[in-house]
Amino acid sequence: MLDLILSIYKIPVINILVKIIVIMVPLLLTVAYFTYAERKVIGYMQVRIGPNRVGPRGWLQPIADAMKLMFKEIIFPSDANKVLFTIAPTLAIATALAAWAVVPFGSELVLADINVALLYILAMTSIGVYGIILAGWSSNSKYAIMSTLRTAAQVVSYEIAMGFALVGVVMAARSLNIGDIVEGQSSSIWGWYMWPLLPLFVIYFISGVAETNRAPFDVAEGESEIVAGFHVEYSGILFAIFFLAEYANMILISIMAALMFMGGWLSPFEGVSALGLGDSFLAGSSIIWLLAKTAIFMFLFLWFRATFPRYRYDQIMRLGWKVFIPITIVWIYVVGLMYYLELAPWFIKG
Amino acid sequence: MLENYLPVLIFMGVGLLVGIGMTAAGLILSPHRPDREKNSPYECGFEAFEDSRMKFDVRYYLVAILFIIFDLEIAFLFPWAVVLDSIGTFGLVAMAIFLGLLVVGFIYEWKKGALEWE
Amino acid sequence: METFVFYIFSAFMVLSALMVISVNNPVKAAFFLVLSFFASAAIWLLLEAEFLAIILVIVYVGAVMVLFLFVVMMLDINMVQIKKGFVNNLPLAVAVAIAMFATIFFVVGGESFSQSVFTIPDRHGADYSNVAELGKVLYSDYVYSFEIAAVILLVGIIAAISLTLRRRPNTRHQKIEDQIAVKSKDRLQVVKVDAQPRKYEPAKEEQK
Repeated sequence: MLDLILSIYKIPVINILVKIIVIMVPLLLTVAYFTYAERKVIGYMQVRIGPNRVGPRGWLQPIADAMKLMFKEIIFPSDANKVLFTIAPTLAIATALAAWAVVPFGSELVLADINVALLYILAMTSIGVYGIILAGWSSNSKYAIMSTLRTAAQVVSYEIAMGFALVGVVMAARSLNIGDIVEGQSSSIWGWYMWPLLPLFVIYFISGVAETNRAPFDVAEGESEIVAGFHVEYSGILFAIFFLAEYANMILISIMAALMFMGGWLSPFEGVSALGLGDSFLAGSSIIWLLAKTAIFMFLFLWFRATFPRYRYDQIMRLGWKVFIPITIVWIYVVGLMYYLELAPWFIKG
Repeated sequence: MLENYLPVLIFMGVGLLVGIGMTAAGLILSPHRPDREKNSPYECGFEAFEDSRMKFDVRYYLVAILFIIFDLEIAFLFPWAVVLDSIGTFGLVAMAIFLGLLVVGFIYEWKKGALEWE
Repeated sequence: METFVFYIFSAFMVLSALMVISVNNPVKAAFFLVLSFFASAAIWLLLEAEFLAIILVIVYVGAVMVLFLFVVMMLDINMVQIKKGFVNNLPLAVAVAIAMFATIFFVVGGESFSQSVFTIPDRHGADYSNVAELGKVLYSDYVYSFEIAAVILLVGIIAAISLTLRRRPNTRHQKIEDQIAVKSKDRLQVVKVDAQPRKYEPAKEEQK
């Protein structure tokens, strides 16, 4: 019996499918409980309790939400383009999930170890905007189409800043492979790229918040002005899919920030002999470190939402074009200079 | 090299399947009772007036065009950053000039007020 | 396996390219164009041109088509109007198409694309980096054309701005510099007011 299972597992396609499920199921569960965490965290920040009725301490809330949305009627607005209206959420979730194919979880733990992983993720996020455009256009609603234009212009503006920030990382690592980028940061906590690339690090994360249309950059779905924006006409499971895609993208931005700037799975205590940790678990690199770092960024997303008031649209565009892009361009020159001067420990010419 | 891309392809397929599967489940499980008022596009309780596909400020197009140009510049930067080690100072200077030209364009935009959002 | 994937994506590409020109709705046409770009990126990937493939997706799918959609979405195209002359002009259109196809066929012909001219590129190992190979020649041997590309992009920026930038009167900007530079005395005027209010003197008429 075991032999049979093993031999089936050895078939390449089956093997890959199993690995995909191993990535996808925890990811979707994380997404589900991220929504729960969001409501809890914001609840406590606003001195409320948050969801606490379904199951012990509200633990079953996300599952109840999913079940509810599953059985709700899907309303197709009159004059909407039904085919495109139905495809749009699928497109959003497919691109949001597909980006995870190249995300490494450890030095050997990676599904697709491709050379251009960073560019691939950038490509997937840039396709993701089509889900929004398609949804907004096919709804045949004024609020939806208004939000579509806003979102598209906002996302593309911040994608430039994000692209420049990533160029800085690639300059430091001289590789587009995410595993190589993490290995380039080894030695000690000082080797992490967040130190020499600090402005790029900050800009990357803020652009990530803007790209996922999260508060305070959520003019695309600003409830109080354009009533949920591009998905105003969506109901039932189609709405839930958009929701899932947004949260999967937030987690993706978080894990990428952890991988590229905070040393991924490397331990912060690496190379510190004074603490006497030796070869113990704390000093070794493991997936736990990666997940812990990712969790910090995920928490930041929620914290931002509870703290900052929404930006006005002209302020968003101003921040993207007149603040972030100039800073990133200048910092690319600075990184070039640091590379030329071989600033240790980050820039050692190979 | 290609064998590394097979998982990516399958992953995309699975991603699509997740989307299609959820959509299908929703369509099958949910009730479907349309009526005219429920299906009318949302407009704060008003009757919809005029077509929702309206003309927009040309500024949105300008943002899109500028985005294409900057995106291309970034596309040039990536392979350069990868081969920094083998192209030496010559490559650094080449990119400094390339990026310098971009900065000239960027300053022009700024001074012309193309980045001003009204 | 590779051949199988190749045929799938080529079929995708050809079909969606056909849909681009045959579908009624311009927005749908634009989406089919996206699909055919995507399929051609996959075919490039099969040739191990991974950098070009991904850049095709980022630049064309992620940037150029967004602009296309911006324009197309807001156009108010009356398809009945456009289709009116379709049947009348069909013979002429077919004749022109055949003439064009024949010209291209006789000039470049089938043998220009045969495998004797283009040999199948060698397969590389897992550590082959297409990006690095490209970078090594682009920033050394072809540095001149690389800089010219920068000039062309600069011209593009200037052209886009001069074509589309319209100043609208009566618009208000936020001037951040002024907001930061503002001093308290610009906004706040301290007026001396007597601490004791003046005594109320009722009108004499009422007292009567």
